[in-house]
Amino acid sequence: MLVELTVNGELKSADCPPETTLLKFLREHLMLTGAKLGCDVGDCGTCTVIVDGKSVNSCLMLAARAAGRDITTIEGLANAQQVHPIQEAFEELGSLQCGFCGPGMIMSAKNLLDKNPTASRPEIKDALSGNLCRCTGYTKIIEAIEDAGRVMSSTKPLHSNL
Amino acid sequence: MRPFEYIAPSSAQEAIALLAENGENARLLAGGTDLIVDLKHNPGNTSLLVDVSSVPEFRGIEETSEGVRIGSMTTFGEIMASPLFQQKMPAVVDGAHTIGAVQTRNLGTMGGNFVTCVPSADSVPSVMVLDATVTVVGPDGSRQMPVEDFFVAPRKTALESGELLESIFIPKASLGKPSAFLKHGLRKGQALALVNGAAALWLDKDGKIVEPRLALGAVAPVPLRAVKAEAFLAGKEASDEVIDEAAEIAVSEARPIDDFRASAKYRRQIIKVFTQRVLKESVRIARES
Repeated sequence: MLVELTVNGELKSADCPPETTLLKFLREHLMLTGAKLGCDVGDCGTCTVIVDGKSVNSCLMLAARAAGRDITTIEGLANAQQVHPIQEAFEELGSLQCGFCGPGMIMSAKNLLDKNPTASRPEIKDALSGNLCRCTGYTKIIEAIEDAGRVMSSTKPLHSNL
Repeated sequence: MRPFEYIAPSSAQEAIALLAENGENARLLAGGTDLIVDLKHNPGNTSLLVDVSSVPEFRGIEETSEGVRIGSMTTFGEIMASPLFQQKMPAVVDGAHTIGAVQTRNLGTMGGNFVTCVPSADSVPSVMVLDATVTVVGPDGSRQMPVEDFFVAPRKTALESGELLESIFIPKASLGKPSAFLKHGLRKGQALALVNGAAALWLDKDGKIVEPRLALGAVAPVPLRAVKAEAFLAGKEASDEVIDEAAEIAVSEARPIDDFRASAKYRRQIIKVFTQRVLKESVRIARES
């Protein structure tokens, strides 16, 4: 079936079997490999993308259902000139080790901070309950999200994806 | 996943017709947080997915003069963000908040949680104590039933072949009723309930308990109304002694099992403590209002 959707502001379409998940569609049909395949059952969160302003596990959503919607993936956060404040804070604090959870962590953080840039530490932890990291112990991830929230609430975004 | 066809009908009638035409090989797709996982591991004979998540009749939260109608395809994220739920049914928001994580709550629906029909369903106790009813639709029209009657056995609802859960309804009389929900899992996030429970009650001007409701999950084959504990509480003073005795009665009504998550003995202890806590919290809210 032909699936047409908006990814990171660009209209994209590809032909895929109906049983294709949004994750597989992004990775194997659109070659956007930022969202990762981890547990494939909605527990680990490394496949997190934002669909119409709401974070979802793209391994649990069919591409067919995402048709016509607006998808933001990790690839939509940075461009050649500028990285997103959340990415900058993760880099600054060394928040990631192996990095496999990173795209999902950052998309969950964006989903939170877009709505609530002054989120408290308990709110940040709650927002990350669907993102597993086996390296870091989460401490620097949470600190980076706090820092990014401060930046995002005090500066004007540079372009629509930021 | 094994190949299947996918159709997203645009009306309830169309969905009902698709189910009738395709029989057992068609499955309804709601949020997909259970079904898609299931299809990856146990595809069975599924040849068609009927995606009802955007069917207008199954969508939306609507307040009428009779009460609040929750379309079965309302997501937990939508319930948590609804000012109506936050203000008049906060225990339902608390229940929704304990389900999965942000990403799964943005997909998962209350109707899906009901139809999956596991004893630990976290969205059930907090609406059960508000005297919720459900509306199901099928080839022969629609019918209503109390929410307790919808859950028949583990993974078996009162839906007849070809029927769909259209909506959940909270009567006006229950809006703003002092209520509380609690869940105990092995972790704070993304855990199945070992025990969950909710209470709702009013206090009359003399401080006596009126229309008490107590519901418990994961303690019996289906979510359970603790009717004996409710009957004991009705008309009594809301004292700690009364609540402690009601909790003992609730323990005797439950039929918890031993499994790899917890022993029945441990669950009984949690039932007692949780019953005390949800009742005390409901009383506290009632006294403040």
